[in-house]
Parts: sequence; C-alpha cells; structure tokens
Amino acid sequence: MSGQGVSNGLIARIVVLAVAVVFFQIGVVSEVPVFGVTVDLSTLVVAFIGLLCGSTVGAASGFAIGLLVDLALVQTLGLTSLVFTLVGYSCGRLRELRDPQAALTPLLVGATATATALIGYSLMEFMLGVDAPVSLELLRQIVLGVLVNTIVALPMWVLVRRCLIGGLPQDPRRRRRRAYTTGGLSPLSRP
Amino acid sequence: MYDKTVRRRRAVLALLVVLSLILLTAYFGEAPSGRLHSVQRGFLTVVAPIQDGANRALKPVRDLFGWFDDTLHAKSQNTELRKQVDKLRREVVAERIDQQSYGELLAMFHLDNQLSASDYRPVNATVVSQTPNIWYSTVLIDKGSSAGVQVEDPVINSEGLVGKVTEVVADGAQVSLITDSSMGVSARVGATAATGIVQPKVGDPNDLLLQYLPANTPANKGEYVFTSGTVAPPYNSLYPRGIPIGQVTSINEESAYKSVNVHPLADLRNLDVVQVLTATAGSQPARLSGVVSSLPSGRQTGAETGGAGQLASTGTG
Repeated sequence: MSGQGVSNGLIARIVVLAVAVVFFQIGVVSEVPVFGVTVDLSTLVVAFIGLLCGSTVGAASGFAIGLLVDLALVQTLGLTSLVFTLVGYSCGRLRELRDPQAALTPLLVGATATATALIGYSLMEFMLGVDAPVSLELLRQIVLGVLVNTIVALPMWVLVRRCLIGGLPQDPRRRRRRAYTTGGLSPLSRP
Repeated sequence: MYDKTVRRRRAVLALLVVLSLILLTAYFGEAPSGRLHSVQRGFLTVVAPIQDGANRALKPVRDLFGWFDDTLHAKSQNTELRKQVDKLRREVVAERIDQQSYGELLAMFHLDNQLSASDYRPVNATVVSQTPNIWYSTVLIDKGSSAGVQVEDPVINSEGLVGKVTEVVADGAQVSLITDSSMGVSARVGATAATGIVQPKVGDPNDLLLQYLPANTPANKGEYVFTSGTVAPPYNSLYPRGIPIGQVTSINEESAYKSVNVHPLADLRNLDVVQVLTATAGSQPARLSGVVSSLPSGRQTGAETGGAGQLASTGTG
C-alpha cells in the first residue's frame, strides 16, 4: 500500500491518533523528564505509521504531524515537517522493500527514527544559524533521547498498530504468511 | 502500473519536501507580524483554551509521574538545602544592615527611582504546556493580552528569572525560557558593576553562560547572578534590576573577556505557576519599554557593544 487504496477510515484514524498524541505529548509527556530528557512520542508515531501504511502515507502523515507540532509549539514552520516527512517516508520504504517481521523491528525502527529526527533537526538548526553557544551536552541529550524513545517504542508500536489495524487493507503477503502459520495450507493438516 | 506507483510515490515525497522548504524559507524570512506568524498566532488562539483544559484534566497523571521523580530527588536535596539555609540565614542578617544603609544613600543622592520588580503589575499564570525539544525551550501559559500580558514582558517565579513573553493571544501566551537558544539577558555577578550577557548553552538546560564580562571582574564560585536592569542589543527586553538568575558554577578566563558558567535558580523543567511582570500604561516600566522599542534594532553582539552600548533601566523621573 504505497498510496493507492487509502481508505477514509484509515485517514480518520491517523488524524485522531496524530492529534491525540501531539496534545498528550505537549500537555503531559513534555513535563515529565526521564533521565533529563523528554520522550518524543510524535517521532515514534510518524515512524510507525510509515512502517504500517507505507512510504506515501508515512511521508504525508509526517508532514502533517510536523506542521501540527510547529504550529502548536510556535516553532519555525516547516522544520519539523521536513524532518518528519523524511522519517515517515524512510520507514515506509523499509516496509515496502523488506517488510521486516522480527519482534525487535519496532525497537530498531523507533531508535533509528529518533536518532534521524534529532540529528536532522540539529543540523537544520545549525544551517539556519544559532545565536547561542552550543554545548557538547547536546550529543549526550541526543543519545539519551534515543535511549528513552527506544524504551517506549514497543508500547507505542502496540498502540499505533491497534489504532490503525482496523483501517488497513489486507496485505496479500501477510495473508499468505498467516495462512501458512495457521496451518490452513499445510499438507500435514489434510486428511 | 509499477512505474506509475513509483512515480507517484516520488512525486508526493518531492512535493512535501518542497512545501516544507517553502514554508521554512517564508517563515524564516518574514517579520513577526507576517502572514505565517499570524496563522501560527491564530492556531495558538484556538489551541490555548484546549490545552488549558487538557492540562487541568491530565494534571493528576503528571502529578503521579512527578511524585516518583520528586521522591527520588528529595533525599539527596535535603542535606544540601539544610546547609544552604544556614548560609543564607547568616547572609540575610548582613544584607538587612547593608540594605538599610543603601536605601538611605540612594535617597540622599536622589537615585531611589530605579526600576524594580515592584514597579510592575504581576499577573499569575499557570503553565499549560512545554516544548519537548532540545532546541526550543518555551512554555505556554494560560494568561494573554486580556490579562494585560504583552510581548517582551519579563516572567519570573519564586526562584528567579524564568524568561520573557514572545507571543501573545487573547487567552494565552508563549514564554521563551532563559535556556532558549534565542534568549540573552543583561546581567551582573554579585555586587559588581560590570555587566555581561547571560546566554543559554544549547543542549544543556542546566547551564547558562554569562559572557563578555570585563577580564578584571571579580567572580567567585557560588555567587549569585542578577539581572542588571539594562538592555543590550539585539536582546531588547528590559528586565527589572535585581531578579536572581542563577549561581556561578565555574569561571572561564579568556583573553579580553571573562565568562562564567551559571546554574539557573528556577527549576525550568518543572514549571507550574509563573508570574508575568506587566507594565500598566503610563507607568515607569511602560515608558522605558517604549524607549527601548524605539531604539534601532542592530544585530551587533554584546561583545561589540560591551557594557557601554546598554540602556540602563534607571528611571528618569
């Protein structure tokens, strides 16, 4: 599913999920530091939407969520959109090319997406010019941010999957795989 | 069919990236009164009451997480705070005697019209949201222009300087904290007359840098850093004199200037209630802010202006 066959139901689910997560992030999660950093749920949501729905939906969701974050936090418009578009697209391409099914995939995708978003954001800020001195602590903050996001990646994956699974069309490859695992086509199950 | 899918996928990506870049360029290039900034303010107007409601509804959840964090830190802070209380008690006694003499001297030389926090009308506000970003340190408060809050108003809490107001809508305002990369505050160390500029160190929310102090400025570890009551371009916010900002943690000797690392006194990660110092029309702070805003907004650094290019917040009567 790389764009075609996106149902209205799926779009509605993504919109509700995105708005809820962004406001929960801003209102609650941001005010609860863990190891001195805050969990960034919006990056994880973008990554997992891409991983579940493909590159086109991932990129579009990334752009929209990024815009929402920039608007709500009165930040430079377009900065988070750009970073999240690339994160959503990359995660979607990973699904389309590899379709990873390992249990640890959400952890790795969450960690990589967070690292990409934090480093990409920092690079963009450097390119736009920073008036204040930059501390080496920034690197530690990035590493801690990735670590903390990795910890919450799995529950976040379960939540995003649960929210979107009803709106996803049946993937032929998944259906085939499920048929094998349930024994429907196994020669041993035949009378 | 496959080609068509690939082409469409790439076209969508290119479109979104170009759209982001256009937004970025337009936003970065326009004035704060520009169209995109207005859209952002409009969004803030709609979102501020929702965030306020969500903040109230979700407060128990936040308090629960906060309780665990506070309990973990309470024991380690206890001993340290007891030592500080003893030290401060001794200092208060000495300060009171000095304060009395100081007041008498100011009155004697007709210098007792300096701008102080008591000249402002404080507006209490609750923090309803916080930025989850290393690069931006901003919070959203539940009081806006309807309560008299204006852009550039100083924001404090019981511990010290918190930041300044950077965006205002009717029922909410955005406050840039002193750890935000866009901030700079004119400040001095202890009782010295020399002023420098306190800037954040991006990536380290617990460290500020007081820069451009003259090399011979006496500064010791543990000394308090206060607002100097002056402005230094391009940071045109006028903070009243004497608001505590932080404590010196280390001193860096440089060639022409001295800089000191400062630990902020206000716990900027756990802000709940803040006070916006608003100026009523015709008051001394309002008059001085008018003078400041009428100054040409140069982009020169504090190093270029040093202490000489600063406008003091001493009242002119």
